[in-house]
Amino acid sequence: MQEIIFQGEHLLPGNLGHLAIVLAFASSLFSTISFFIASRQKSDPLWSKAAVTSFYIHALSVLTIVASLFYIIHSHYYEYQYAWQHSSSDLPWYYMISCFWEGQEGSFLLWIFWHAVLGLILLFKAKDWKNPVMGVISLCQIALTSMLIGVKILGYKLGSSPFDLVRVVNESGPLFNQPDYLTRIKDGNGLNPLLQNYWMVIHPPTLFFGFACTIVPFAYAIAALIQKRYNEWVKPALPWALIGVMVLGTGIIMGGFWAYESLSFGGYWAWDPVENASLIPWLILIGAVHVMLIHKSTGSSLHFAYLMVILTFVLVLYATFLTRSGILGNSSVHSFTDLGMSGQLLVFLFMFIILSVILMAKEWKKIPSLAAEENIYSRDFWMFIGALVLIISSFQVLLTTSIPVINKIAGSNMAPPTDPVAHYNKWQLPFAIIIALLTGMGQLLKFKKSDPKKFWKDNAIAAGIALALSGILFLGFELNNWLYFILLFASVYTIVVNTQKAWPFINGKLKVAGASVAHIGFGLMLIGVLVSSANKNVISRNETNVAFFDGNDAKTMKENYENIYLEKGKPVKMQNYRVTYLGDSSHWVNNYYKVKYEELDPSGKVVNEFMLHPNGQSNPKMGFIANPDTRHYLSRDIFTYVSSVPSKERRAEEEFINEKYHSIKIGDTIQTNNGTVLLEGIESDLDTTKISATNVNVKVKALLKIITLDKTYQAKPVYAIENNGIVSIEEIVEEAGLRFRFMKINPESGTIEIQTAERTPHKQFIIMKAIVFPYINFLWGGTIVMIIGFLLSIKRRISELRRSNIA
Amino acid sequence: MKTKYIIAIILIAVAIGTIISMYGDSSTYVDFKTAVTNSDRDYHVIGTLNKEKPMEYNPEKNANLFSFYMLDSLGYEMKVLYHNTKPQDFERSEKIVIVGRALSAQEFEATQVLLKCPSKYTEGQKPGEN
Repeated sequence: MQEIIFQGEHLLPGNLGHLAIVLAFASSLFSTISFFIASRQKSDPLWSKAAVTSFYIHALSVLTIVASLFYIIHSHYYEYQYAWQHSSSDLPWYYMISCFWEGQEGSFLLWIFWHAVLGLILLFKAKDWKNPVMGVISLCQIALTSMLIGVKILGYKLGSSPFDLVRVVNESGPLFNQPDYLTRIKDGNGLNPLLQNYWMVIHPPTLFFGFACTIVPFAYAIAALIQKRYNEWVKPALPWALIGVMVLGTGIIMGGFWAYESLSFGGYWAWDPVENASLIPWLILIGAVHVMLIHKSTGSSLHFAYLMVILTFVLVLYATFLTRSGILGNSSVHSFTDLGMSGQLLVFLFMFIILSVILMAKEWKKIPSLAAEENIYSRDFWMFIGALVLIISSFQVLLTTSIPVINKIAGSNMAPPTDPVAHYNKWQLPFAIIIALLTGMGQLLKFKKSDPKKFWKDNAIAAGIALALSGILFLGFELNNWLYFILLFASVYTIVVNTQKAWPFINGKLKVAGASVAHIGFGLMLIGVLVSSANKNVISRNETNVAFFDGNDAKTMKENYENIYLEKGKPVKMQNYRVTYLGDSSHWVNNYYKVKYEELDPSGKVVNEFMLHPNGQSNPKMGFIANPDTRHYLSRDIFTYVSSVPSKERRAEEEFINEKYHSIKIGDTIQTNNGTVLLEGIESDLDTTKISATNVNVKVKALLKIITLDKTYQAKPVYAIENNGIVSIEEIVEEAGLRFRFMKINPESGTIEIQTAERTPHKQFIIMKAIVFPYINFLWGGTIVMIIGFLLSIKRRISELRRSNIA
Repeated sequence: MKTKYIIAIILIAVAIGTIISMYGDSSTYVDFKTAVTNSDRDYHVIGTLNKEKPMEYNPEKNANLFSFYMLDSLGYEMKVLYHNTKPQDFERSEKIVIVGRALSAQEFEATQVLLKCPSKYTEGQKPGEN
């Protein structure tokens, strides 16, 4: 068989990328081995030097992979499967960044990249921990880079390369026997329209940076076990754990904000398995931070700290397995599709589980344990309880999210709960109450031992203030459930206590009060979540349609009817708003629907007016993708999206019927079934330049006005003589369902002949859903306060570390 | 030491509670026959759209009612009522998962309709096809 020479391919960036992947894999392998050898023999610095050099090569290779892949996407080299599959030429540059991590390979790459960055920082910052810590990170890099290799070894495909060529992946396609196949591929498959949002440009890197951060405390813990420096690791690992909590938390909230701003499920959190997968390790990581703090202040709970830090990382790997193995399949809308790597992912997961279990088992007895005094009047006691509650909370989410995994293992046939939100909230609401109370109460106590009398006095004051405030808020927010009241009280309580704690440090030394600030943020977030979801109000309930239902439907019409039919130009009242669909405009691939909102007071007077432009994209692959638009007010958000638009294809089947001819003069009217037509005038444009004996060009337009029940339209059918032939150009008024043809001119009677035809009017309409979220700004505001709190704590722990390094 | 045991017992009790609730709240993938005989609970039914029979959606009359005929894996057919808008590109779905309960032997009311489109995300289409 003759080798085909393909034309127009750009193989250089791909080959460079492939080479860099192999190099990254090999160098991480070498780094791992030499870092571990170096950590055992301290006398010979040679191994350590070799390991460091090798890691530099690794980092450089990773950078090369990233650059090559981005270059391929940016240059629209569709000979590469990844570029073809995930991008298209019409994308603006910032969405090309999103293309980068739309696929599995790219998102692995993102993770590898952050590990490499963290590794480079640790080379300088980890001091005497460098060798073993970097060994663990390099080990993880072996596993991760192997996911990108994409080479068949003994019949098993190891990983999946982002640099595979289209013609190699789709080998059997007849197109790929032709040397010029590339000329037939005009454009890429495009980026998933759901990801065409600026939040999707920054949410994945933030989330992956958070995931990546969890390896650092884990690496310290493992290093401590290997080197038998059992309790020195907590201090240097603490800032990293805090960074992890902050970044991962920010990433999760950003995901929620993305869902809120651009997905049409109507909210920021839906308990989707993919969302849960990132929440599960985050909850444990928060617990880990608190247990590390207990150990730092009291010297106890060291075993527990090890377990929490290890568990966090293992759960990150488990989350990776869940979202990437395809096991979630039916239960999640946005998990990745299976690339046939589930086996490899399981090896990755179990490699680290087994490593941790063996090390923990071996060293368990040698880890110093302090028989802790169980004093319930101590902060550490309640922090410990808090960590346990976080474990249970995380466990509950893990359990239900893992239903597909349980099915696989036990061979059962369970499906996720039919109402997941109710299922999770039933558990997580009480957990949130307990956590909120503990974050307040704990702050009133000292580590080890406090004065019970003082505690009860402080507590009574704080609880009293909180009770009064939450009572007022409860009425102000118009809540009506006692459980909500308890949660509201708990949130206000923690805000009150922590504000009291942070107040003395407000000028200057706020760094010390980082924890309090973070807890205040947490309390505010809880209030935001509570009020915006408890009083979430679907205002687009359709009251006008009720008369149309037949008896059978009547029983089910309770709450399902959440979409409203809006005809262009016809105002519709929904609760205290009057909405009017005014028209569309399109921008790039999106269609924007202009909707006018008028807020009415009880007497029906307009008190407020604004426009919303929800948009939609008719995607050839995924159908109509709605993108909401939200009006933000300080106290509430009005959230609107278009759930359906009339399909255009339907019209082709419907024929015009009832053709009629009318001889009319100016000022005459024609009656049709769809409205009255008035001939207002005749407009002619005689092109004198083109007149010759053989070629007379005349063009005459009839000016018609169509008056329907609720609107008037214009139509201008044309009658023309071109090259001595007669041409009638038809004009269709879609919305009135009328077609006009200008048939002839009768000079003798001074009339013209118009043909009319009718069909069911094609109304322009949208089907829309609108939801009011009250006080959702508490959630976003609280998030920002919490992030500030974390930043302060991180700063404090880092300077503590510096001081102890100097000392 | 006593507090430790109390905490441990509470912890185990709550953990068992979450497991029971997971079993209790979880739904099951069934065929239409099972859903009809147990019409008092919600199920997941997987099936395909019967393209021979009409899909009805008339937004001018009712924007919140869409109905279609679905065949389950055993070929049993039911009319499905869905009180929401018609999912776009519904015709192209390869597999449908509906969540809800049977109203009668012929009618099923779905509270959720999940589509598995062959083209969702990146599968299906081959380069050069357009």
